[in-house]
Amino acid sequence: MAVSRLSYLSIRALDLAASEKHYTEVVGLRVTGRSPGQVYLQAHEAQDHHCIILNASDRAGLDHVGFKVNDPNDLHEAEAGAKAWGLKTHRVAAGNVMGQGEGLSIELPSGHTFNLFYHSDKVGYSYGMKDPDIILENLNGVWPVTHLDHTLLAGNDCDKTAKFLQEVLDFNLTECIHGPDGNPFAFFLTVSNTIHNVAFAPGPPNSLHHIAFYVSDRADVIRRVDMLKHRKVATFDYGISRHGVAGVTTVYFHDPSGNRNEFQCGVYEASVVRNKIPPIVWAGENIPRGVFYYESAVLANFFEVVT
Amino acid sequence: MALIHRGIHRLGYARIALKDSRLLKTREFYTHEMGLLETGIEPNRVMFRCWHEPYKFSFVVDQSDKPGLVEIGLHVRDDIDLDNFQRKLTAAGVAVDVAEADTELKGLGKSIVFDVPAGPRIRLFADIQQLGYVSGFEGPDWVAPKAIRGTAAPLNINHVAITSPDPERCSAFLADMLGFLTSEKIVDEKGKTISALLFRMAKNVGGQEIAIYPGTEVKLHHIAFTKEDSSDIMSDGYFLKSDGVELDLLGPLRQPYGNTFSVHFFDYCGVRLELCAVGRMTEVHPEIQPVVWSTSNLREALSYYDEALVPEEFFMPCL
Repeated sequence: MAVSRLSYLSIRALDLAASEKHYTEVVGLRVTGRSPGQVYLQAHEAQDHHCIILNASDRAGLDHVGFKVNDPNDLHEAEAGAKAWGLKTHRVAAGNVMGQGEGLSIELPSGHTFNLFYHSDKVGYSYGMKDPDIILENLNGVWPVTHLDHTLLAGNDCDKTAKFLQEVLDFNLTECIHGPDGNPFAFFLTVSNTIHNVAFAPGPPNSLHHIAFYVSDRADVIRRVDMLKHRKVATFDYGISRHGVAGVTTVYFHDPSGNRNEFQCGVYEASVVRNKIPPIVWAGENIPRGVFYYESAVLANFFEVVT
Repeated sequence: MALIHRGIHRLGYARIALKDSRLLKTREFYTHEMGLLETGIEPNRVMFRCWHEPYKFSFVVDQSDKPGLVEIGLHVRDDIDLDNFQRKLTAAGVAVDVAEADTELKGLGKSIVFDVPAGPRIRLFADIQQLGYVSGFEGPDWVAPKAIRGTAAPLNINHVAITSPDPERCSAFLADMLGFLTSEKIVDEKGKTISALLFRMAKNVGGQEIAIYPGTEVKLHHIAFTKEDSSDIMSDGYFLKSDGVELDLLGPLRQPYGNTFSVHFFDYCGVRLELCAVGRMTEVHPEIQPVVWSTSNLREALSYYDEALVPEEFFMPCL
């Protein structure tokens, strides 16, 4: 069958305790597992074991990205497909990532590593799976994010990477940004009905631009920006904004290691039947409005700062 | 070797039939109150789409002496899927009819149609005419067209809810034959499913494309459309109210069953509609686990706020 969802990002943390505090008290995740040098976290309204893995490290950035498949045999097919493209792969033993079955690790042309796997242990929704009272207590001013929504990765060979994901892993291209030469240089790709689970833009190999968490209401994004300011968390200069791409409401901020986070709200529904609907194109004078709708200007540090 | 997404990819459309004299009133309601875009008019039919949808229609109203839910249209990837489903359904003893492109509905490709036991008629198709996005494909603003601002102007069709004399049988068929998964369900004291929310999509206002409620016969309960968020639902509620539209239930409600925030109301012909936001983020994966509700908590499941809500009244179909 196929890739079913973006499952998790395994990222690096300069100060593990500070990062844990950030992802629990600012983002609003819960801790679901610990091992030496690692903390596993999940959103309150997601049922798999984790969506973020923090790894103690001497630098910031990305370790790898986890995607789930919905048939155990998909690992064989993906392995054969990746090898045919000349990409390096290796098997990841069950349990190597806590709470998770066997995986297939693929090194993409962009320098990023995707770990495909079938099984995740279930932690369930925080309020339980039976007759849940859907309101959680003691959240310290943080209304929970519902799930990990997407990530923007920076790397080289984005076009080749996007092509591999479309042709071998059946990702769907929903929007793209074109350069002056008329060729696309940034790619928004999905395996679900949302606008993107992963996007690629040019940058140093294996870089992380941001990690986006979904919140259900724009009013909640506003309250979160207020809380970020109140807690003196570094936000992007524009504060609250809207992306022209997908028309979603957004705010960017940084974790203690400098990894960029995003809170996003928007119900853009991708018309997912492959190769039926052409991708949306952002080019030329439309690009600044596509990136930041109200401001229609892109500050240099937005694309240049990656971890 | 490559992975491939197979089967049902999205809810394509809901198609209902109303008695003839009502069609003009219906057109006025769906364009001026609901803010749908009219995309096709035939002597006995009118078609609509939502402004964020690139396809020709997501809602079809027929003129007919037999009012009711005609069918639910589901979009599959390609003809391979259509053939696979036809073979599988036929092997299971289900009567399947085939319609060539443009014969059943203008703009619809080849389709197969069948009746779900204790459930709705379903039509599967791989192709539907594309009108493109109203905001275009180059640098779109993704803002509702000015002509429909101030109306509900939903972004997409979200789900279709039906009543069934045997919800367990109906949901089992949809799961076994069409690959639907359950995001939430209600079970009685004996463990029997009396209601289920079924999905094939993973969308941000999610968790259901087909909702099944208990009832004496297969009827339409409501058709739901997607809104951005809860604040929209609140303003839609007072716009509709001020225009004299009949609101159902007790106004905007948080529904723990499905985790939605929504408002239900009736069109001029008594068809129940819903505008919804929030909902469950789901995953098309065999290991996904549903939320399970007990009938003893039914009222709380259906509305977090309204202690006066009567579940039996809530489950009453409309058409």
